[in-house]
Parts: sequence; C-alpha cells; structure tokens
Amino acid sequence: MDLDMISYLAKLSKLNFTEEELKKAAADMTSIIDIMDTIKEVDVVYNPLADNKNMYLKDLREDIAKDSMETEKILQNAKHSDNCFVVPKVVE
Amino acid sequence: MYIPVIGLEIHAELLTKSKVFCNCSAEFGGDQNSRCCPVCTGMPGTLPVINQTAVEYAVKAGFALNCEINKFSVFDRKNYFYPDLPKAYQISQLNYPLCINGNVPIEVEVNGEKIQKNIRINRIHLEEDAGKLIHDDYNGVSLADYNRCGIPLIEIVTEPDIRSAEEARAFVEKVSLLLQYAGVCDCKMEQGSLRCDVNISIMKPTDSQFGTRAEIKNLNSLKSIVRAIEYEIKRQSKILDGGGKVIQETRRFNDNHGDTKSMRSKEDAHDYRYFPEPDIVQVNFTDEDLAEIRAKLPELPEKRFERYTKEYGLSEADAKILISQKTISDFFNGALEVYNNPKSISSFIIVELLRRVNLGEVSMDNLPFSSKDFAVLVQMADEEKVSKNDAKTILRFMVETGKKPEEIAKENGFLITNDTGKVEEVIENVLSANKAIVEQWLSGEQKVFGFLMGQCTKELKGVCTPKVVKDSLEAKLNSMK
Amino acid sequence: MDVSQLKIRQLREMLDKKQISAAELADEYIKRIKKYDEKLESYITVTEEIAKEQAKTAQERINAGSASALTGIPIAVKDNICTEGVKTTCASRMLENFVPPYNATVMEKLNSENIVMLGKTSMDEFAMGGSTQTSAFAKTKNPYDLNRVPGGSSGGSAACVSAGLAPAALGSDTGGSIRQPAAFCGVTGLKPTYGRVSRYGLVAFASSLDQIGPIARDAHDCALVLNAIAGCDSRDGTSSRVAVEDFTAKIGMPVKGMKIAVPKEFYAEGIDSVVRDSVLSAAQKYKDMGAEIVECSMPSLKYAVAAYYLISSAEASSNLSRYDGIKYGHRSSKGDSYGELVCNSRSEGFGEEVKRRILLGNYALSSGYYDAYYGKAMALKQKIRAEYEEIFKICDVILTPTAPSVAYGINENITDPVKMYQADICTVTVNIASLPAISTTCGYDAKGMPIGMSIIGKHFDEATIIQVADAFEKNFEAVPPKMV
Ligand SMILES: [Mg+2]
Ligand SMILES: [Zn+2]
Repeated sequence: MDLDMISYLAKLSKLNFTEEELKKAAADMTSIIDIMDTIKEVDVVYNPLADNKNMYLKDLREDIAKDSMETEKILQNAKHSDNCFVVPKVVE
Repeated sequence: MYIPVIGLEIHAELLTKSKVFCNCSAEFGGDQNSRCCPVCTGMPGTLPVINQTAVEYAVKAGFALNCEINKFSVFDRKNYFYPDLPKAYQISQLNYPLCINGNVPIEVEVNGEKIQKNIRINRIHLEEDAGKLIHDDYNGVSLADYNRCGIPLIEIVTEPDIRSAEEARAFVEKVSLLLQYAGVCDCKMEQGSLRCDVNISIMKPTDSQFGTRAEIKNLNSLKSIVRAIEYEIKRQSKILDGGGKVIQETRRFNDNHGDTKSMRSKEDAHDYRYFPEPDIVQVNFTDEDLAEIRAKLPELPEKRFERYTKEYGLSEADAKILISQKTISDFFNGALEVYNNPKSISSFIIVELLRRVNLGEVSMDNLPFSSKDFAVLVQMADEEKVSKNDAKTILRFMVETGKKPEEIAKENGFLITNDTGKVEEVIENVLSANKAIVEQWLSGEQKVFGFLMGQCTKELKGVCTPKVVKDSLEAKLNSMK
Repeated sequence: MDVSQLKIRQLREMLDKKQISAAELADEYIKRIKKYDEKLESYITVTEEIAKEQAKTAQERINAGSASALTGIPIAVKDNICTEGVKTTCASRMLENFVPPYNATVMEKLNSENIVMLGKTSMDEFAMGGSTQTSAFAKTKNPYDLNRVPGGSSGGSAACVSAGLAPAALGSDTGGSIRQPAAFCGVTGLKPTYGRVSRYGLVAFASSLDQIGPIARDAHDCALVLNAIAGCDSRDGTSSRVAVEDFTAKIGMPVKGMKIAVPKEFYAEGIDSVVRDSVLSAAQKYKDMGAEIVECSMPSLKYAVAAYYLISSAEASSNLSRYDGIKYGHRSSKGDSYGELVCNSRSEGFGEEVKRRILLGNYALSSGYYDAYYGKAMALKQKIRAEYEEIFKICDVILTPTAPSVAYGINENITDPVKMYQADICTVTVNIASLPAISTTCGYDAKGMPIGMSIIGKHFDEATIIQVADAFEKNFEAVPPKMV
C-alpha cells in the first residue's frame, strides 16, 4: 500500500498522521492487506437474500411518540451554548 | 441552442408521529435539542429501531407515484462527516430501496398545446433527516440543534427526463399533490418538509450523450427551483459557448443573488462507503401487506378529476380547482354524501367558500363546520328554503360561528316557509285584533304599517322570511282598501 | 472470610441464609480490589459508593424474601457497557470523561435483579485487541502470571473474576473477546447467540458481531447471569424474539450419546501442541462419559481471520466516526474549522490499534475496493455459516481450542498486528456464524497457565453448551491463580 492510498484513507478516516506515522501505517497495512488478500482466491458472491431475517412490516416498531430526554442530559458530555452543541464556525 | 437535461431528487418529510429510528416526536419545530434522545443524537451504544409507519408511508408514496415495491428492502449506511449528522453516517438505502420504477404524468405545453408527459421515477427510498446548524455570528461559532435528526424522509429520485424549468416546476407540484393525497407529507416547502436537489446538464440536439452535470442542493421553493435551473442553463451555455467544460460539482443556489455557487468547501472526498446497516434487519412485505397499504391509499387526483368531469359533468376548469388540494376535494366528496348535487355543491364551493378562503377568513385545513353542514346549506338554497342571497350570509355566519345552517337561518329569519295558510291565519288574527290601527292605515297613515308588520313577524318568526310577511301583509291590506 | 473462589450459587445461599449481608459481601470484594487491583489493574473505575447503596437495597429485598438469583450478588461490568451516571470509557482517551445519560439494557435488567455493581473493567481500547494492553488506562495483567497478558478484549472482566475480585462479570465478544480472556485467565466465559442479549448500550465495535455475555467461575454461574440478561429488547432491532429458556435447565443431564464434532482445521498447524493435546484429552474425557467424537472439517477456516477483520473493521470505521469531539468525548483544544477539530480530536483520542482498524475498514469499504474486500468477506461469512450448518446437521456441539496458545508475555505480540490478528483464528468463526460458544478451562501447561477449550452450539442452544461445559467442569479440578 502506497503513501497516497494511506493518505487518502487517513482523510476519509479524519485522522492526522505525521510523515513518520504514515510510513509505518503503510507498512503495517501492507502486511495486513496481504492476509486479507487470501480471500481473493475464493469464488463466492454475497447473496443479501440469504441473510434475510424474515422481518415483516408488522414486526417493526409501532409509531408512538414518547417523551424525549431532557436537553440538559443530551448536552451533558458536550461543549454547549443556548441549548445547542457548539461547533466551530461552519462556512458554507 | 442547448437542451437541458434535468433530474430531480425530492426529499419529503413523512408525517409520522415519532422519528424514524427512535420514539422522539417528529413534529416540526420545538425548543432547541428538546426533541432528542440518545438514539437520535448518536450516543455511543444506541441503536436505531425502525418505525413501521415510516416504512408504510414510503410504500404509500411509492404507490401514489406508480412505483413497484421491493418486497425485500435493505437499509444501508452512507458515511460522511458533517456536524449536522451526529452518527457521521446517514441511514439510507442503496441497492434495495423500498420503491423502484415509477412514473408521474405531468402536463407540459408544447407550441401552445397542452400535452401529457411521463417523468420516470428511478426510486424512492427511506432515510433519516439531519439536524440544523445555526450560525452564531456573534460568537463566531455554529450551533447544532438535533431536533430534526431522525425525522423520516423519503428521497424520490427521477430519471433525467425533465427538459425545462417549467417541467421541473410542474413535476414538483404534481409530486407534492400526490404526496398530500397519499397523506404522507404536508409538502410545506417553506418549512422544509419538501426540499429539492436538481441535477442539470445541457447538450446539443445532435449530441448522443448527456453533458456533465452540476448538482444544485437544497432548493426549498418552486420559485427557486425555476430560477436555479434557468440560471444554470445560462451559466453552462456560456461555458460551452466559450469552448469551456462544465465540471461535475455540487452548487448552492443563492436566493438573494439568483445565482449558484460551487460548494467545494463542504466536502473533499465523495466516497460514502455505503454498506448494509448491520443494526437494522431487512424489511419484507407479503402480498397482503402491500394490498393493505394500497387499500389505505385514498383515490388519487387523476381519478377524482376523471370522476368529476365524466360522471358529474363538471367543467375541466372546475374539476381542476376541486382536486388542486386534497382538503377541497375531500370536502366536496363529503358534501356529496349528504346532498348529491355535484354541480351545485361544486359551484358553491368554488364561488362562495373558496372566496372566503382566499379572503383569508378561514382555511380549508380547519373549517369550523363540516362538509355535511355545507351540503345542508346548499340544499336549502336549492330547495328555496332560504334565498340565494341569504345562503351566502349564512355561509359567512358559519365561517364566523361554526353554527349549523338551519340554526342560523332560523335565528335570523331567513327561512322560507310554504305554509301560506299559517301566514294568512296570523295576518288575519293580527288585523282583527288591531282594527283601529288598520283603520288608520286605510285612511292613509302609512307609518303604522311598521307596527302591524312587527306584530306579524313576532308570530311568524322561523316560519317565513320578513319579506314574505311584508308582501302578504301589504296584499291583505290593499285588498281591504 | 475468603470469597475469592466462591461461586454465585454459594453466595446466594449465604445471602439467603443470612450468613453474610449484601453489604458485607460487597465489602469483601471491595477490600480485595483495594488489595490486589493496583497490581492486577483489572478495573478502570471502582464504584464503591454505588455498590454500598445497591447492597442496601438488595438486602431489603433479601429480607423481604423476594430475592431473585442475582439479588445482592456483586458483579463487574466491562467498560464498554453504558452505565448511567458512571463513566464508560471503552478504555479510550476518546471517552475518558464520557458519562452516559442512560443505562444499557443489560444494566437495567441486572439492576432490576438488584445486583451490586463493583465497577467497570478494563479492556482493549474499543474492544479491539486480544491482550487488554491497548487500554489507555489499565493494562490488566494475568492473575496466573503478572508478566503475562490476561487476553482480551474483556481482559479486565476475566482477570477480576479469576483473581476473585468479582464472582462474575459482563464482557463483550466480537471475535472472541469473552472466550479468549476467559481461557487465558482460567475462568468460564460465554458468548451467546447473536441477538440473544440486547446490544442497546453496548458501545458498538462491529454491530453485526458484537454480543454481551458473562464471565464467571463456571458454566452454571454463566447460565445464571445469562438468565438475567437475555431476551428480546424493543430498543435493539437485531435482538431475537426466540423465547428465553432457563439456561440451567440441562445442567446435570448426561452427555451420553451426544455427538461432539472436532473439525480438524482447528487442531492443525498454528495451534500450540500443549493446547491441542489438552483439548483432545478433554474430548477423550467426553468420550469416556459416553459422548461420540465426530471428526469433521471446516474448509473455509483459513479465510476466517481475513473475513472477520474486514467485516469488523469496516463496521468499526463507521461506528467510530461519531467520535468527532462535538457531542461527547475528547475535544481537541486545536482546530478552527469543523474538519480540523474533528481530525485533531480523533487523532488525539484514539490509540494506534483503533486507528489501524479504522484505516483498514475504510479501505475495505472505499470505492473501487468494496467488492474485493467487504463484499467478498460478507460472502465468506455466508460460506462459513453454511459450513457450520453442515456440521450441526450431524452433531450437537463442536469442540475447539479457544486460543492457539496460553497467555503470552506482555508486549510479546502487540508490535506485530498480523501475528496478533491470526491468534483469533479459533474464535472468530463463531461470531461470523452468530453462534453461541462457551470457553472453559481444560488443563494447564507446565508453567501452570490455564488452557481453554470452546464448546460451540447451535443457534440459541446455549442450554446445551452450558450442559456440556458443566459436565466437564464437574470432573475437573480448577487451580486458582497463585496471587490469590
Ligand atoms: Mg439521500
Ligand atoms: Zn430520539
């Protein structure tokens, strides 16, 4: 796995790596992918229907509105203001 | 000259009581983060549990838009980071959406002639709405309110069959009409319960392939859909005319400037890494389930239009007005159940009731009286139990007070009785009891007429209109001259 | 009083006969924790105050004569199971200060039995690992040898039960995280059928594989805990509606006539001979009890580790995306834009192994690679499942080693992720196939380190694997760790 790919994955993952870390990650990933590649030799195709758990419409949750959680508890682990989560300025 | 090629993605919020994956209320609004729980704010360890009615409504929408329903449907995760999406993935559907292969007929004008055109629906899938970001300029931060997180949405995706801004408008209008009829969405674009993304490219008539498209996100009025499309056509034409190339990108429409701007800042990599949502099992439908949902679907506007014009003999113009809103059409249907005179009911709705609605005195969503009461009133007028003029007054009172038409007519003496015997009898009695006054009148003192009239009216209240009293009394007195 | 080797049933009897009060019992364990856990590091948070409070309520219930099986029983809880008002860290800097505003369903169920919670146990960060050495807070040791790992990821739970710092604990098992540490620490751990126990409130690692289960001194105690936590939950759409039976029901029934499968791939190269011999001699003991040992095969086992890591990492990469520093968890002090803040918070909050899995998972799902990796892994999942079904057409249970080796030395494996991943070969297929399995001790190596064997059952047939494990345990003399 090359550095470009690792950088791309880091970007998708929203993770920062130093140059050093990227190199190590690339090396680790290369050996990990080697094991993963063993599955390429098997000739099987995923069949979503075979994973069907036979849930039907009637098995789904009934549409009933219940009380929500107090806003205070929703925000208790967050930086908050005005009953909202604080996010760095989002420029659109 | 270029041909625009347009496809739409319409997001419609479903009218369920609770959110799509938790029991929080799905109502619009609410104090910030007051309609939230650990599930819809994506707290660690929480799991989505799918709302039966949301699924049913999505299928209902599918039927309304002539779709096939997938009897096996799978939910997927669409992964991307954005602060309005607390789990950093949206639960949506990729390969097995609930509905596929639909079509929606719209009316388009070609060379001044109205023709019908089908817009094909690629798919309708169920997904969750994201939260809202409030931009707090004062503190230089943004604030996230997750009340809207998890409101059920359907995404309706068309094939690129639309060729003009007007067609796009007609399509959106038609879809919102159908969704309202199906009872699955209130389609209030101003509240964001119906939103639209436009995919648009342009091509020369001789081109065999579509051009490169731009996607304009989050249009929330018919007007901005039309303006954004018209702007994009111009913008892309200019680029191609100048020998340039349109780039595939997401753009935002600015209502104030009437233009679109690239949204490059929002996301760098469009790799959503979809995969089947492991927390939600696949949903199956039996034939009976689907038949049951279909049976719950009310008669759709085209059908009603056909019935109104063909069966009831209404004009196309009138029928169109009646079906333009489900509430009107339902009201009309309801009135017919009591008084089966379509022409009369229709004209009284269109001329009198909708006039009051348009004046802003009342709205069809919360009339203070029923269609049955309305039907009674129209019938009273038709049968000349009240005069046409008084019927209009009665309607005004009904709007104001919600009282029954008979009651208003009685209280105000609008009722016309056919009991002329009773009128004669009362007048006879009044005149013989007031001989002196009758003499005065006969001798030319006209002002005493009012007294006699008053006496008669008192006795005849609720039996006939003052006009009848007056006419009969005059006739009687004149005969005594 | 030495409570270190007592089982839930014995504690029950003592409590019911008022030989000890719930408060005294809780206190005995708290004392032991204070004495031993500095060295063992099995707990991240000890909830002494809560334990005292709960013991009081439990005692009232006992006095009222309405105690249920677990009333007043001290229990430790893995730190990835949400406990309202009590920090739930997943052994990650990311959730160092996370206090859930809600309880996991299993906690609600245990609380309704009036258990006494002793604390939250250490684990590999976000349950990713098999050594508990990736814990950001407590790198738990093996009670049998403090220089060795306790296994993982539920290493804290296994070690604290083994060392007598709790009679039972909850763990979670995504690819062996209950069974392998149970094996390493010489205790019994049960991974229920997927869907048997609600996952609501279990911080997700790999949603399609995660399952909460008990770790205890023996199979019978595991059954008692499972009785309390199993069942369909309206908050977990993947929890099963299959009726919950009494999991102790088959205990004591003879294994005579039972068919026990031994798939040869589980005994092949890569499995230490001491482990293989020990498990095979256990098979012989079953044979002596009248069971039939059936040799069979699982051809796809060689792909299982790859399939497991692709699926679990893919799901993990998505499950862990929610940690962006905004709603909960570590929020970096650096970052002026949302994107920067997210990257900084995640880079500071997650450890190396977690980052590795996120990268791997995103690789498996990214456009252009999905079919070759994630799609293929899902297909293999179906193939492995089918191979199990074949075996279960003939056999009642399957017997395998729980891990290829006994507990290894601290820091021995973690530098080489590949080696570490391959050590999961014996356990991952059970999760892939959603099956129940129980690991119990079948012997000790020359240095006295425990060796674990796993009994795998048919879907929702926990009662049978409990029966089979119990039959062995009754004829096996367990050796407690020296440190106690
Ligand atoms: Mg969408
Ligand atoms: Zn909610």
